[in-house]
Amino acid sequence: MAAILRLSVLRGAQGSRGLFLQTPVVKPAHVSAFLQDRLSPGWCGAQHIHLSPSCHAGSKAASVHWTSERAVSVLLLGLLPAAYLNPCSAMDYSLAAALTLHSHWGLGQVVTDYVHGAVPQKAAKAGLLALSALTFAGLCYFNYHDVGICKAVAMLWKL
Amino acid sequence: MAALLLRHAGRHCLRSHLSPRLFIRNAVPLGTTAKEEMERFWNKNTGSNRPVSPHVTIYSWSLPMVMSICHRGTGMALSGGVSLFGVSALLLPGNFESYLEFVKSLCLGPAVIYTAKFALVFPLMYHTWNGIRHLMWDLGKGLRTAQLYQSGVAILVLTVLSSAALAAM
Repeated sequence: MAAILRLSVLRGAQGSRGLFLQTPVVKPAHVSAFLQDRLSPGWCGAQHIHLSPSCHAGSKAASVHWTSERAVSVLLLGLLPAAYLNPCSAMDYSLAAALTLHSHWGLGQVVTDYVHGAVPQKAAKAGLLALSALTFAGLCYFNYHDVGICKAVAMLWKL
Repeated sequence: MAALLLRHAGRHCLRSHLSPRLFIRNAVPLGTTAKEEMERFWNKNTGSNRPVSPHVTIYSWSLPMVMSICHRGTGMALSGGVSLFGVSALLLPGNFESYLEFVKSLCLGPAVIYTAKFALVFPLMYHTWNGIRHLMWDLGKGLRTAQLYQSGVAILVLTVLSSAALAAM
C-alpha cells in the first residue's frame, strides 16, 4: 500500500524524469525525501544523492571559478612561448595580469585547504588579496617605468 | 501512511519557507550547508585536543603523492618570487639595470651563473609541465594508475631536460 502511494506521489511530482532510470542520477526532492525515510530494496541501485548545485541559480559561482582557473592556466601557458617569440609592451601587461591572477587563485586554494575556521580564513584571504594587488601594481609599475618583464628576463639571461 | 503524506507535505511547505532560493522542487535542504557542517566539525575538533593519527610520517610515499606536493610547493615558491619582484619594483631604489650591473660586478664564474639560472628555471619548468598534466586530468585523460606513473616520470625527465636547455641559453 505504501509502495503504491509512493509511486503515485512520485509520478505526480514535477521534474520526475530521473525516476525511471536505473542508474543513480540526480533525483528530484520528492524522491529524495522518501528515500531518506525508507531505504527500499525495490529501487535497485538508486541512492540518496544531494542534488547537484547546477539546478540552483546561486551556486554556479564555484563551477565558474573552477573553469576560469583552467582558462587562465591555459592562457598563461600560451603566453610563455608567445612572450619569448614576440616580446612587447602588450605582452608585458598580459603576463603581469595572467601571472598575478593565476598565483592569486592558486594561493587561494592553498588557504582554503590549510586555514580552518571562518575568521582565520577570511583574514588570510584578505591578506592574500592585498598581496596580489600589490604584486600586480608592482609589475605594472615595472612595465611602465622600467624595462618591462620580457626585456628584464632577456637582460637577466644575458648575464 | 497518513503520517507519510503529512511528513511529505510538511517538508514541502518547510522547504518553500526556509529558503526562497532553493524554492521549487529541486532541493533537499538538510538544515546545514557544507560550509556550516565543516565549521562545526573544526570547532569541535580543534577544541577537543585529539591526538592526530600519523599519516605523512608513516604512509609509504608514492610518486604521484610527491609530485603533487611538489606542484604545490613550486607554485607557492614561484608566486613568492613574482610577488617579491613586484614589491621590490615598488620599494627598492634604482632601476633594474643598476641591479644587473651590481650582479655583473660580482664577477661570478659561468658555473655559478649556470647553476643560478638552472635553480630559477627548474621550479618553473616543473610547475609548467606538471600543470599540463593536471589540465589533461581535468579533461579526464590519463587517470589510470599506470598512466599516472608514466606521465609522472615523463614530466620529471622533461623538467630536467628543459631546465638544462633553458639555463644554457
